Amino acid sequence: MQFIIDSILFSYSQIFFCNRRWFGAVALCSTFVVPEIGLLGLEGLAISNFIALLLKFDKEKIRTGFYGFNGLLFGASAAYFFELTPFLILIVSIFIVITFFLSATLEHFLASTFNLPGLSLPFISALYIYLIFITNYNNIIYKGFNFVEYSFLSEMPVLLSYYLQSISLILFQSSVITGLILITGILFFSRVMFINSLIGFAINYIFVNIIFPNPTNDVLLLASFNSILTSFALGGNLVIISRKSFGLIFVSTLMVIVFTGFFSKLLIDYLLPVLVLPFNVVVLFTIYSLKFRQEHSDLTLLYFQPGSPEENFYYHQNRKTRFDKFKYVFPELPVFGEWKISQGFDGEHTHKDEWRFAWDFVIEDDKGNEFNGTGNAPEDYYCYNTPVVASLDGDVVKVIDNVPENKVGETNLQNNWGNTVIIDHGDGLFSAMSHLKMNSIKVSKGDIVKKGDIIGLCGNNGRSPVPHLHFQFQLTDKLGDKTYKFPISHFLQKSGDRYELRSFSYPSENTIVRNIETHKGLMEAFDFQLGDELEFKCKLNGEEFYEGWEVKVDILNNMYIESDNGARAFLYPREKVFYLTNFVGNKKSALYFFYLQALSVPLGYVDNMFWKDSIPVSIAVKSTFRYMAEVVLIFGQLISSTVEKTFEKKINGNQSFIIASDFVNSGKYFMKWFKQGAKGRLSIDSQGVIQSIEHKSDRINFYASNKSAEV
Amino acid sequence: MAKKVYERPMIIKQYSGMMNKFGSAPASMPLSEIDGVPVKQLTEEWGSPLFVMSEKKIRENQRRLYRIFKSRYPSVQMAWSYKTNYLNAVCSVFHQEGSWAEVVSEFEYDRARKLGVDGEHIIFNGPNKSVEGLQKAIHENAKIHIDHFDELYQILEITDRMKKPANVAIRVNMDVGIYPKWDRFGFNYENGEAAQALKRIATSENLRLVGLHTHIGTYIMSAEPYRVAASKLVELANMMKREYNTDLEYIDMGGGLPSNNTLKGQYLEAEQILPTYEQYADAITSPLFDLKSSSGKLPTLILENGRALIDDAGFLISTVIGNKRLSDGRRAVIVDAGVNLLFTSFWFKHKIVPAQQNGSFTENSTLYGPLCMNIDCLREEIVLPVMKRGEQLVIKHVGAYSVTQWMQFISLRPKVVMTMEDGSVELIRDSEHLDYITSMEKIPEKLNAFSLQ
Repeated sequence: MQFIIDSILFSYSQIFFCNRRWFGAVALCSTFVVPEIGLLGLEGLAISNFIALLLKFDKEKIRTGFYGFNGLLFGASAAYFFELTPFLILIVSIFIVITFFLSATLEHFLASTFNLPGLSLPFISALYIYLIFITNYNNIIYKGFNFVEYSFLSEMPVLLSYYLQSISLILFQSSVITGLILITGILFFSRVMFINSLIGFAINYIFVNIIFPNPTNDVLLLASFNSILTSFALGGNLVIISRKSFGLIFVSTLMVIVFTGFFSKLLIDYLLPVLVLPFNVVVLFTIYSLKFRQEHSDLTLLYFQPGSPEENFYYHQNRKTRFDKFKYVFPELPVFGEWKISQGFDGEHTHKDEWRFAWDFVIEDDKGNEFNGTGNAPEDYYCYNTPVVASLDGDVVKVIDNVPENKVGETNLQNNWGNTVIIDHGDGLFSAMSHLKMNSIKVSKGDIVKKGDIIGLCGNNGRSPVPHLHFQFQLTDKLGDKTYKFPISHFLQKSGDRYELRSFSYPSENTIVRNIETHKGLMEAFDFQLGDELEFKCKLNGEEFYEGWEVKVDILNNMYIESDNGARAFLYPREKVFYLTNFVGNKKSALYFFYLQALSVPLGYVDNMFWKDSIPVSIAVKSTFRYMAEVVLIFGQLISSTVEKTFEKKINGNQSFIIASDFVNSGKYFMKWFKQGAKGRLSIDSQGVIQSIEHKSDRINFYASNKSAEV
Repeated sequence: MAKKVYERPMIIKQYSGMMNKFGSAPASMPLSEIDGVPVKQLTEEWGSPLFVMSEKKIRENQRRLYRIFKSRYPSVQMAWSYKTNYLNAVCSVFHQEGSWAEVVSEFEYDRARKLGVDGEHIIFNGPNKSVEGLQKAIHENAKIHIDHFDELYQILEITDRMKKPANVAIRVNMDVGIYPKWDRFGFNYENGEAAQALKRIATSENLRLVGLHTHIGTYIMSAEPYRVAASKLVELANMMKREYNTDLEYIDMGGGLPSNNTLKGQYLEAEQILPTYEQYADAITSPLFDLKSSSGKLPTLILENGRALIDDAGFLISTVIGNKRLSDGRRAVIVDAGVNLLFTSFWFKHKIVPAQQNGSFTENSTLYGPLCMNIDCLREEIVLPVMKRGEQLVIKHVGAYSVTQWMQFISLRPKVVMTMEDGSVELIRDSEHLDYITSMEKIPEKLNAFSLQ
């Protein structure tokens, strides 16, 4: 039953690029303002979904209205043009079946050939066939194109009336009331879409009058509802909203006007209406051409399951800030323990020009000394003789191991680089380690090394007055080649007596850094395997309930945890840090609070360790102020949602790892006064069992404990 | 002009213009303050004799050793050897620095638990573990290092009864080329007992083999034996991996690193002949990279160092009671700290220095403690300046074993204070008093009364 209701409601909301049931219901009701159109639309939807179900098409696609909405549009438009007779309804029913097959074909063709959405192209093709077919009959009466006049709305400004008519035309309704209902629904669903519709409409109105000297009402309306649909698609629903997408709306509206004129002239001979053809054409070729740019840093096309433009935007922004910097490999520091970067990028000694992106490593004690004793012998230096390891898996391609050690203070400029090992990591990435101690190198050319394998010992030769390790990434196996800027995947950076987790970042000069050493318990806790099940006893604001989770995988190989209430949290487990990328579904669930607490978790514990992360605003913030801020989303994000996480210090005998989170949602510019906070705790015992999830804010008091831990 | 300090007259032989290969006679540099706190102030406030522990020095030592190992091996865990110094304050400093607890008796186990260390972070060593102690340790998931077969059987019996698996390791002893061979603790490597014990554990249901342990001795003066020991443990670990696919969590290399105290038989000063900790670390860590593991993650290296971390963080301040001349003409100085407080003086030549600037002339002396016992001699021979009654001598490097092996004998044990990082001084163990000693005694009724004529 839920499935049938979903498939109906989502079919309606699909037309407006929306994925909300309530919006589908609003749209459904709005079509019944002119009952026969509403009825036939519903019939079209029902038949389409029935066939799809009968023929065993993908159930998930049926549920989300993928097959239903073209049938719905077809039914509605068929009723729109002609007086309904039982005979006609029979004909329409046959054509709905045709529409279904057409849409299944076209969707697949466009998706597989051009990687494009089908939009309403199937519907419009079917409609043209239908309209031409119908000319076989003389007794079917063409109704024409008339809006219902309401006397109580006679005072309505003309422009507003045009605007509402344009909106209602999307569902082939001839009533401004439908338009009013729809646009109210849209405003609640997405402020961005609402604004976009206004922009599209306004630009269209101005330019139609310039481009066509004396436009008829029909042309104006036609162009304007196409423009509104186009601005939905390109201004946030298929392209992620930005300042540039505003320009895209502008340009595409002009194109819509031109194409409206073109199709009107082209199709008039065949007595075919233009309808949504300009929208389909303009959107499809705009999106298609955008795919072939060299850079995709803006006007980003949707690459994930669409939500509202706001959700798309927040998700994309979040993903960008969190994961854009990630690389295809995860290099680590080439040493054990804690080291200081004695010379970083653009260093004052040797890291200049072509060799800018290199690091020198030394060891320092608490007092900041690099050596014990006089410092006159290399052995006095803490780093001397310590192992140097491979930063990544790779093949050893060059080994130089015969440059004699320097006395402290001397440099050997003949053999600048000293004893060096160069490793090929594949895909054109190489790393070089220099000044290794003579005769200490443990690998030879051709060896395959794994990340963390010992390469040799830190030494003092070549251009090296005091013992240190020189480390750089480069693009060839040449000794002393120019450096290549490539980050270290995860490391801890000391700041005061705390350690900050840095990800895909560049250790900077004079900082103290170390690798993450994984802990068995943490590894175990976040090692989610397919089919794992968990159950929690939860209490949300006094209300108690049980919630079960299961780990699943989708067709794109994305692992996720699914709660028994349908919510999903997507997993991105890495070697040293565990990530949750996204959350969809019911926010009154333990999984939602788990998502917030376990957004990112380093799999190793160090006292006083902290890290920062950010959450998509649509997931974190629930407030009318957010809706206010979204009116101007096109100019920038006014609200951000960040979190700082720490491992709570394990005091005497406390065996559990506790990840404490401090959430802050705050506004910028004129939303500066907006501030919300929340605190959370995630507790994991040393055996790797997630024990409890806690979340507290002004409005929320949540606690969940693992059922298996209770026993 | 200030009045000159009076110094009693003495006779010394003059060597004029003579050079020898050791340079001039050692002039003892006074140690007038500890961590910035004047020694005089310490004795005035807390009395004499007085043990002083330096928080700063402990942390420094711990961080240094950890740094040395951690920069040579990916995963290192220290475990504080309780028997070396189990004063709560001292243990807490180590635990704050991240050390686990290494205990060798139920008493020490309870101490660690009481201090707040959870079972999981306790390593339970030693040849004598009581049944109650073992039960506790199994219940609390401590890591039990088995010493002999009878203990192994005992543990098997307990785990069967408790229906709870135990986390165990075995202690292995072996020939590492040094004398004396420490073969009394643990299972011998060469005669195959160790391998036999491991197989017994691997085939039992209720024992989880989590590690291997060795402790090759104490005050080991060369790094090479450690390399041998580590290699032999790696052999055993790889054998277990091969035959039983056991992935060990850790390799425990014990302690035994020397401090900078000089042994009585040693001719040169300790600093001059001992290898550096870096050399020990190289020897210990380099064989470990041959360990085979299925995950690619090497087992954690556990270190149980005691002496090396605490010896030079402990000071014993004593006050001169008197001077005398012995029959053979030697000088003797009597101080208020004796062998009852400084058990280690039986084998160490401690560094003993005055706490105030004395005259520049020194004299060969014998240093006696306050006990009315012939054994109470801190040093047969020591070069000291002229000391007056009431002046202080500081005995350095007494942090290890002193406050655990000290005796209540003839007199009461003194206070122990800690100089804190912020410059303050805290009492960490009060001095004993008569009632404390007698409170444990019972007197039979018959002996209650007596009359003396």
